[in-house]
Amino acid sequence: MSDILSTSISGLLAFQRALDVTSNNVSNSATPGYSVERINLAEQPGSGTTSGYFGNGVNVQSVTRAYDEILAGQVRSSNASYQSFNTLATQAAQIDNMLSDSNTGLTATLQSFVNALQSLSTAPASTADRQVLISRAQALTQQLQTYQGQLSQQSQDLEQQVGNTVSQINTLAGNIASLNAQIAAAEGATGVMPNQLLDQRDSLVDQLSQYVSVNAVTGSDGQMNVYIGTGQALVVSSSAQQLVATPNPNDASELDIGMKSGASNVSDVTSEITGGSLGGLLATRSQVLVPTQNALGQIAVGIATVMNQQQQSGMDLTGAQGKPLFSVGPVNVAPNIANTGSGTVAATITNLSQLTVDDYKLTYSGGTWQLEDTTTNQAVTMTGSGTSASPFQAAGLSIVVSGTPADGDNYVIQPTANAVAGMSVLISSPAQIAAAALGASSAGTSNTGTGTISSPTITNPSAWTSGTYTLSFTSATQYQVTDSSGNPVTSGTYTAGSPISFNGEQIAISGAPALGDTFTVGPNNPANSGDNTNVLAMAAAMSSSVLDGNTTSLNAAANNLVSAIGVLTQQAQANASAQQSVNQSATDTRNNLSGVNLDEEAAKMLQFQQAYQACAQMIQTSQTTFNALITAITHG
Amino acid sequence: MRIATTTFHNDAVAQMDTLQAELAKTQQQLSTGLKLQSAADDPTGMSRVNQMNVEISASAQYVTNSNAVQTNLQLEEQALSDASNVLQNANSLAVQANNSALSASQRSNIATELQQDLETLVSIGNRTDSNGNYLFGGYANTTQPFTMSGNSVSYNGASAVTQVQISESQSISNGDTGSTAFMNIPTGNGTFTVAAASTNTGSASISASTLQNLNQWVPGTYTISFTDPSDYQITDSSGNVVSSGTYTSGNTLSFNGAQITLNGTPAAGDQFTVAPAGTTSAFSAISNLITTLNSGALNQGQLATAIGSAVQQINNSITNFSNVSASAGSRLNAITTAQSAAQTIQTSLKTNISNITSVDYVSATTQLSSEELALQAAEESYASVGKMSLFQFLS
Repeated sequence: MSDILSTSISGLLAFQRALDVTSNNVSNSATPGYSVERINLAEQPGSGTTSGYFGNGVNVQSVTRAYDEILAGQVRSSNASYQSFNTLATQAAQIDNMLSDSNTGLTATLQSFVNALQSLSTAPASTADRQVLISRAQALTQQLQTYQGQLSQQSQDLEQQVGNTVSQINTLAGNIASLNAQIAAAEGATGVMPNQLLDQRDSLVDQLSQYVSVNAVTGSDGQMNVYIGTGQALVVSSSAQQLVATPNPNDASELDIGMKSGASNVSDVTSEITGGSLGGLLATRSQVLVPTQNALGQIAVGIATVMNQQQQSGMDLTGAQGKPLFSVGPVNVAPNIANTGSGTVAATITNLSQLTVDDYKLTYSGGTWQLEDTTTNQAVTMTGSGTSASPFQAAGLSIVVSGTPADGDNYVIQPTANAVAGMSVLISSPAQIAAAALGASSAGTSNTGTGTISSPTITNPSAWTSGTYTLSFTSATQYQVTDSSGNPVTSGTYTAGSPISFNGEQIAISGAPALGDTFTVGPNNPANSGDNTNVLAMAAAMSSSVLDGNTTSLNAAANNLVSAIGVLTQQAQANASAQQSVNQSATDTRNNLSGVNLDEEAAKMLQFQQAYQACAQMIQTSQTTFNALITAITHG
Repeated sequence: MRIATTTFHNDAVAQMDTLQAELAKTQQQLSTGLKLQSAADDPTGMSRVNQMNVEISASAQYVTNSNAVQTNLQLEEQALSDASNVLQNANSLAVQANNSALSASQRSNIATELQQDLETLVSIGNRTDSNGNYLFGGYANTTQPFTMSGNSVSYNGASAVTQVQISESQSISNGDTGSTAFMNIPTGNGTFTVAAASTNTGSASISASTLQNLNQWVPGTYTISFTDPSDYQITDSSGNVVSSGTYTSGNTLSFNGAQITLNGTPAAGDQFTVAPAGTTSAFSAISNLITTLNSGALNQGQLATAIGSAVQQINNSITNFSNVSASAGSRLNAITTAQSAAQTIQTSLKTNISNITSVDYVSATTQLSSEELALQAAEESYASVGKMSLFQFLS
């Protein structure tokens, strides 16, 4: 009878515990990161008699949580992917929206500028049309700079977020490490796993996967090691490594991610960081912000180069040679702060069609200079020797190096990154638009041959001077060009139609000139204010293919940028949406194992309650039985 | 299969979120009328739309360009027509003056009227367009193209006119230079001119000179000399006799493919010179006539020859005006053609853009209702199923 009592009491206690667990499950049914707990009951060892073993009731063996490390890992990896793509998609969508307006976008503004050139060509002397052209040039500059401003703002925000994210990661890593210590201590003290601490730790690792891709491995001692990116150990047992966001040695406005090992030893892990919002931010920087900035820069350099060349190949309303219309920011050459030598590097854009939207790194190594495209990570071959007489030539750049560099010194060269920021319209007076041709030519009035001369084409505006040159035929097949003082400039054998070059210009004579025939090549008549030759050439140059090896026009480049960012945004959005589904499904799978089902808990409650009531009834039965015995004895 | 209660709620919420997002997107498309909100919606489409917008903008600009040219060419046509009328007037004055019965003062009166015509013609040549630029100045359209010094008019404009693009592939001249319209007018019949020598004393004058056969024509200067009133000989510049014969008034003299008709009675020793045609100006056609009428020293033959030559110059000028005007007219036709082509292209581009960017209202509305239905179903089922719990039935 004491057996009934003790057995029933064990049941009462066990089911009370079981109801405790159920009530805890119900209470935490909406707690994020809570893993449903199960009470594990086991039969107590029996008491052996000759008639057999009699059970001694029930024992609470353990309370365990429903948890699967593989399922948790799937949730984290899909979450990291989702966060990464979602960050990229959100950031790229901002640029996409900025560039997308087809009515006010860059292609429309560029076309407005070309339209202003066309309008001017119908009334070349019109001050109003000239003023419109200058305004359109300013509008074009302004639009590019508005874009640039948004890009800079977004870059600044992004770098700030990188910094914040790194501190979040560090906080989480610290907390995980400290939980590792607590879990080890709790386990050491009680010999069982502290479920609540495990849930907390898993929750922290889940949070960490929002920021960066994580791989968590739990050791046999219950301590969890956390690896991020491509396998960098962030938490090992109870110690956490610090991530640091440090300015890029070549560009202080960009933050690199470093991992601290020891007091001052920081290793750069920027390229190892993948996944999570941090991975998404870094991908945004390298795939969206920098390429967009460089592409806008390339377009700005293109506009300035084309227009300045043509402006200088024309005559303005005052009769003077045209002056450059646009200025753009120079090539950015950023020495590494760790450089020890005294070398200096200067780079200028000299070939528009070879210019790329990539960034480069020039490194002095083993006594030679090497150039690497840091966007594609490919070595780039340079010609020339790097002196000012023979600069290095590569990617449309002329690079002059001087001073004494030390081995390993390097310089980041960004050809177009600063172009837009430094862009401005140099001409404010409408009269300074060079709409007319710069040069003019005529045949001598007493010529006896049938030779005719073409209008001069300016090939090198900076070499052109406003002198009058006389081309005379010393025989029917020989010509000589003399300047206004009679000094010979050039001479040669006449071939009909083939160009003759001098004074930065080019003319061609066709027909059959006779001995003694002369042709005059000089500046255009300043009275020719109605000459639109050069403004037509400007319009033509603006729509010709001048970029990317003369395959892409400025307008096409602007349009390509819009669609490239569009494609990138679309892909990032599609990937984010796909990863969201994967994450949703992984979360469901994990929750279906680890989450609380209230119906189940209701059933368990009912079950445990009934069992509890039954045990209580057994005690009463034991009492009744005992009473019957006592009564029998006292009344017997 | 075991489902966590949170899964049930989370999934329902996620599902409703998705449906709501789709619904919002469709609603936005319907309210803006655009299915292409940014490049990410359709990068290729956006790129084509941008390209087509550029083409529309360029095409509209070409139409603006051609409108400007059209205005100029119409002004030019008007100017040339006015100039023709002035010369027609000068022509009838010349015919009126070619009358031996007129007194010197009557001729001088005619000359005064012609003077008026000359000044009118100059002012027509100096007309300006709506921008205040000279119509006939060529490149130098801010410089007054024609200036008068005495009765001599000189051209100060440029020898070229602006070319203006009126379509992607077509450029036309925005007007004509003053030298084309007024200055480069062939003299005589375009091949040769005939003049009476100032020493002539007879009354013979040239009434017509034509080139009958271009192949026989040998360019050069020829002299028709009358050895007596009825005999003539024609010599070239080296003095070789090319032709000779007997003359009666109204005879046509033929040599080297040229035919020259003389009227009146020459005196012995009278000479007429046949010289290669050059160019003259519409102004000198009048000013020469003024000079002729004002010079009292001319005899009837010289007067008639001079007036005849002036009339020829006037007629040549009128022909030139009409040629230049016809060329401007053909450019106006080209503009009309180009503008109508531009209209067609723009309409078609706009249709294409609309096909890419605009919402198809029928399908979008259908989509909206089906999305509404889906969201409603999700909400209703969640509201009903979400309430289900075993705890409800325990007491």
